Amino acid sequence: MGDSRLRVGLYLSGTVVGLVLLLGVIAPFVPYDPADAVDYDQLLQAPGMGHIFGTDGQGRDVAMRLLKGTEAFFLPGLMAAALATVFGALCGAVSGYAGGWLRGGVLGTMQLIDTLPRLVFIILVCTILNPSIYLIAFVAAVLFVPSIATVIRRRVEALGSEDYILAHVAHGFRPVRILLYHILWLQCRPLLIRQATYVFGYVLFVEVALSYLGDYGVQEPDPSWGNMVAQARGLRGVSAWPWAVPAVAIVVTIAGFLAFGNLLARADEEEVR
Amino acid sequence: MSPLLSVEDLVIEFDTARGRRRVVDRVSFDLAPGEVLGILGESGSGKTMTTMAVLGLVAGEPGVMGGSITLRDGDDEIGLLSDLEQVISRKGKRVSKNCRKWRRMVHARMRPLWGRMMTAVFQNPRHSLDPLMTVGAQVEESIALALPDLTAAQRGEKAVDWLDRVQMNEPGRVHGSYPHELSGGMCQRAMIAVALARRPKLLIADEPTTGLDTTVRAEIVELFRALLEEERRSMMYISHDIREVLYLADRVIVMKGGRVVETETAENLRLGRGQRADYTAMLLSAADLPSGAAA
Amino acid sequence: MSRAARLAIAALRRAAGGLLLLVGATFVIYITIRSAPGDAIDAISPMGTPPDVKARLMEEFGLDRDPFTGYIAWLMRSLFGDFGESLVFSPGAPVMEVVLPAFGRTLLLSASALVACLILAILAALLLGEPSRRQQLLTGPLYVATAAPSFVVAVVFVQFVNWGIKAFLVEGGYVPPSWYPLEMYTESLVPYVFAGLTLIAGDGLFMDFFNSVRADLNALRNAQFIAAVKAKGARTLGHIARNMVMPLLSGYAARLPIVLGGVVIVEYVFTLDGGGYVLLEAARERDFPVVVGLSVLFTATIIAVNLLTDIIRALVDPREVAHGG
Repeated sequence: MGDSRLRVGLYLSGTVVGLVLLLGVIAPFVPYDPADAVDYDQLLQAPGMGHIFGTDGQGRDVAMRLLKGTEAFFLPGLMAAALATVFGALCGAVSGYAGGWLRGGVLGTMQLIDTLPRLVFIILVCTILNPSIYLIAFVAAVLFVPSIATVIRRRVEALGSEDYILAHVAHGFRPVRILLYHILWLQCRPLLIRQATYVFGYVLFVEVALSYLGDYGVQEPDPSWGNMVAQARGLRGVSAWPWAVPAVAIVVTIAGFLAFGNLLARADEEEVR
Repeated sequence: MSPLLSVEDLVIEFDTARGRRRVVDRVSFDLAPGEVLGILGESGSGKTMTTMAVLGLVAGEPGVMGGSITLRDGDDEIGLLSDLEQVISRKGKRVSKNCRKWRRMVHARMRPLWGRMMTAVFQNPRHSLDPLMTVGAQVEESIALALPDLTAAQRGEKAVDWLDRVQMNEPGRVHGSYPHELSGGMCQRAMIAVALARRPKLLIADEPTTGLDTTVRAEIVELFRALLEEERRSMMYISHDIREVLYLADRVIVMKGGRVVETETAENLRLGRGQRADYTAMLLSAADLPSGAAA
Repeated sequence: MSRAARLAIAALRRAAGGLLLLVGATFVIYITIRSAPGDAIDAISPMGTPPDVKARLMEEFGLDRDPFTGYIAWLMRSLFGDFGESLVFSPGAPVMEVVLPAFGRTLLLSASALVACLILAILAALLLGEPSRRQQLLTGPLYVATAAPSFVVAVVFVQFVNWGIKAFLVEGGYVPPSWYPLEMYTESLVPYVFAGLTLIAGDGLFMDFFNSVRADLNALRNAQFIAAVKAKGARTLGHIARNMVMPLLSGYAARLPIVLGGVVIVEYVFTLDGGGYVLLEAARERDFPVVVGLSVLFTATIIAVNLLTDIIRALVDPREVAHGG
């Protein structure tokens, strides 16, 4: 019974994830000139036939901007998720398996990175370096390495004393193989899936937040879900569509990714068992 | 003499992924005052669930689904399951139970009985003590409940005395120790002190030696024997080890697959007198005891 | 060795570790400054900075030396609270004087939001107990609600509040009652209250807290030693409360960075004169000493709170000190 609910949740969140992936993949190939899109004859239209999500304060099609807005976070998010997961898994495995100065060094570095206030540090980096979304995604990935490493390290430490891992050691498997295949791939896969979707969600969050704040993210007239919401400040309740649509998109996307990661991990765990 | 505890037709069920499963199936037994009743059975035989039902601590749903448990408190008879029918509803073949309401009802009924009428020593002694309190403080908590008029200093003295009676080396030092500083065997001794200091009419020992080393197990069993010789107590001793049960109990019930397969005095079992159920005979012969005539 | 002595030693060791972390974290911040492309001084000073100010900045940040000695010199000033003078935000004023009162307001806001969130989460967990089947069906929609970033929650709040007030003003002729101590929107607590609510509702803070508190509470209620306490007829409340302190503390410490990130955005949205708002304004105007000073303060806060929770944990849980932590 719990199984069927799991499957429904997986399908629902999977649809969201699939849709976002689809939008992210096709967006770069759709020609769009933000300057051309301005149309003062069609300001703030409600959703209708010509514009399925209506138009914004400059008469631009909201659906189109929503689509082009995925460019801002899609590739950086995937990159950050991959980076953070790989390095987090490695750091976690090393600090969980190795001993002595190596373990101490990795643990210390992780603790150090973990004390940096994430958003504040990203803003600091943006004031010093040329802010681009890839830089932001890279910093976010680095900032997430410790939390992934901690999760993996706990698992590796717990597994290190399990009999069957000891049996593998006794059978003479190479430690690298045991660590990478038997522990990281077979045992930590659900954890890694969960963490990777979390990082993707965080990059989306940072991108939209910075674009909303207006200085470091995507600049008008280029679209981002964040600066689309920011325009609500100017609209003062005249029309809710231009900000409600991207706001819902943000929430649904983050929720979809988090839920998908969680449910996929849970399904994977149940299969392993 | 009328029994201190009588259990009749007890039924316990749990919902699992593969439907509802009956783990205790119409179990009945009596326990006379001053008697040590052994409950013997392999894991999954329902022996622990039966004792949990007596304690009102069955976790999991729906739990107790039928039968009666009667406790005799002086001249009063208390039916622990007398309200059970109120929370059970039947729709055709489907029998459902309002578990939240039942939990509240059990709590209200058991609150005045817990400790005074009965208390328990569980398996996994390391998880039976509050990890954030000294052992002494936990024994004193029991003493304060049993003898509310004592001063703090008297309670402290009594606690050390109890730790000494459960044959703890250096009871004074143990009094100020935290559970994580003690071995599993010492934790179980401490737990027995906590339980006995409460002065219950019935002590329930649910597999108190499981998870302990062989030598420590023997020490704990000897401790129970010594405590029983020092003072006659009503006790339920649950174990999967036939030797432990025969050593401590006056009477034994043998459980398998949620049912009672045999009720017999320990003496008859020890001496191999009378007819034996197949399962009991197997347990006896596995332990190199005379298995008597098969039924 | 007595327990008190062991505790004192553990506390000292942790304090030393915290100091070491602060040094390390400031080093990361400093290296980030030095990694600016081209001439670092151009990257960190606003357009049209006079040469004498540039020279002073060079010296303050040790840019005229190699990174290591430069860092030491900068650290020595910073550790004593000397982050130089503000350039644009409040020209000529020492950074600490600009930043500290604002940061104090930020701390007050985040701390009260966290405490309120904690109380709400505990109350909700106590009230709801074990999740029933009907509640499990609700978790899906709730999941979506928890994923809202704080600024989305804030935007929604602001929209509805504006709406509400407009509705009152136009139709009802809204007059504040005489006991109403707050003036609308200016120098009042109202935006702070809304900011706090946003912090609680945003970034999944409340749901996250609630879920973990509920899971911990239910695990504890089913723990064997609680069954043993029940079976001897004692009250379980004290035992449960004491054993909840640790999971609550770790949850509190773990979520602090999220709250400190959320507070930056929330202050900006509600234009509250706090550390986050000052940080963003200073960053926009490239008032670098202020940005760095605030970054160090934020980092130091996280370290200090972690240290504090570690020490409280050692006080509450005898197992912590025993492991030598």
